[in-house]
Amino acid sequence: MMLLASFNVHAELAPIPVLQHRVTDLTQTLSAQQQSALEQKIAAFEQEKGSQIAVLIIPTTQPEAIEQYSIRVAEAWKIGREKEDDGVLLLVAKDDHKMRIEVGYGLEGAIPDLIAKRVITEIMAPSFKQGDFYGGISKAVDALIGLIAGEQLPAPVNQNGQNSFGDLLPLLLVGGLILGSILRAVFGDFFGGILNGGVVAALAWFFGVALLIALILGIVAFILTLIGPSGLGQLGSGSYSGGGGHSDSWSGGGGDFGGGGASGDW
Amino acid sequence: MKHLVLRFLAVLFVLSLTGCGYNTFQSLDEESKASWSEVLNQYQRRADLVPNLVNVVKGYASHEKEVLTQVADARSKVGSIQVTPELLNDPEAFAKFQAAQGQLTSALSRLLAVSENYPNLKADQGFRDLQAQLEGTENRITVARNRYIETIKNYNVAVRSFPNNLTAMALGYKAKPSFTVENEKAISVAPTVNFESK
Repeated sequence: MMLLASFNVHAELAPIPVLQHRVTDLTQTLSAQQQSALEQKIAAFEQEKGSQIAVLIIPTTQPEAIEQYSIRVAEAWKIGREKEDDGVLLLVAKDDHKMRIEVGYGLEGAIPDLIAKRVITEIMAPSFKQGDFYGGISKAVDALIGLIAGEQLPAPVNQNGQNSFGDLLPLLLVGGLILGSILRAVFGDFFGGILNGGVVAALAWFFGVALLIALILGIVAFILTLIGPSGLGQLGSGSYSGGGGHSDSWSGGGGDFGGGGASGDW
Repeated sequence: MKHLVLRFLAVLFVLSLTGCGYNTFQSLDEESKASWSEVLNQYQRRADLVPNLVNVVKGYASHEKEVLTQVADARSKVGSIQVTPELLNDPEAFAKFQAAQGQLTSALSRLLAVSENYPNLKADQGFRDLQAQLEGTENRITVARNRYIETIKNYNVAVRSFPNNLTAMALGYKAKPSFTVENEKAISVAPTVNFESK
């Protein structure tokens, strides 16, 4: 009985949408172009600064107050980087005529409550009153970006350009072992090993690994090739298969929220 | 033979320390302390806002003496309570602390309700900023309290359920007080600080 009752209470709460994109609009308020324009703006900023911003438009947060719903979304989505906690959630409850800016722990200095409040009352509310949701949200995102830009935060980890050593290592290991076995078959144990070591070292150096470490990697590759990769090869490819693979969907980086930010209405 | 049995029992005892919930108590105890600090932190933040808020309101509504004194009294009462970690293990002191904070909450909401009647006060940028800060702080308090309730729930479940309760009894770990429901209702209703004209 108790269980049933508590389940019912739970079921009545507004559901938290699955996080897939930076901009989630459940009310069909924004056109596809507007969504992608916002998305691109936020994505570009995330590339540059590392902070994550998410926009969510829903019909209503009832029966909860917007603050309660908002913190649940923030806790579920975990926007912002772990440790930096530099995420911002911009939530609009369209039918309730309410909005909220939920600020992660790490940005409470860059976006204090009263500034968040001003973004809401001075930027969002006037546009929303005229029915211009895209304009209000877009300008608010600009303002938030401007505020976060002034904050000292660690540089983002770039996923495209320079690979970090940790990302590169599995690639080198598997690649080196495969290449090693081919070269060994063609050139024999010793020369195959030397060639493979050279290639691995050169590649590592090319990708920005320090020269000394690149040389050590090359020597390791040489020795491994010489020993024979049959057993090791299986081990290597087995444990590293299926890595990487970035899809279109977007997710939070593990940022924490403590209820900072401001709410308002229009 | 007897030695062997003793040795076996000693090993069993050491092993059982990990299985009897001792380590669970340690981590849950720390967790509850951390979430309690966050609650205190946010209450402190609110208390720090009060003098400024009172000053601004005084500037426009000095004759609202009753409400202003209520807030000042509640504020000084909150400040007078010695907040020590032991507070957590003392239900009586905990209740007193809660009562004082609850009093400040209701005094503040009355103050904000009164200030509704003063258009000039409502238009004051300093007041609006303080109001936004108070609103944010009240929300942070709610979040911190909810997280505290959650950690205390985990801790108390661990302390009370078998066989951990035997360890808890032996080592003196007691269930910790949480925010009670009536209390919760009175306090979690943040003062309506919505001054935006519709």
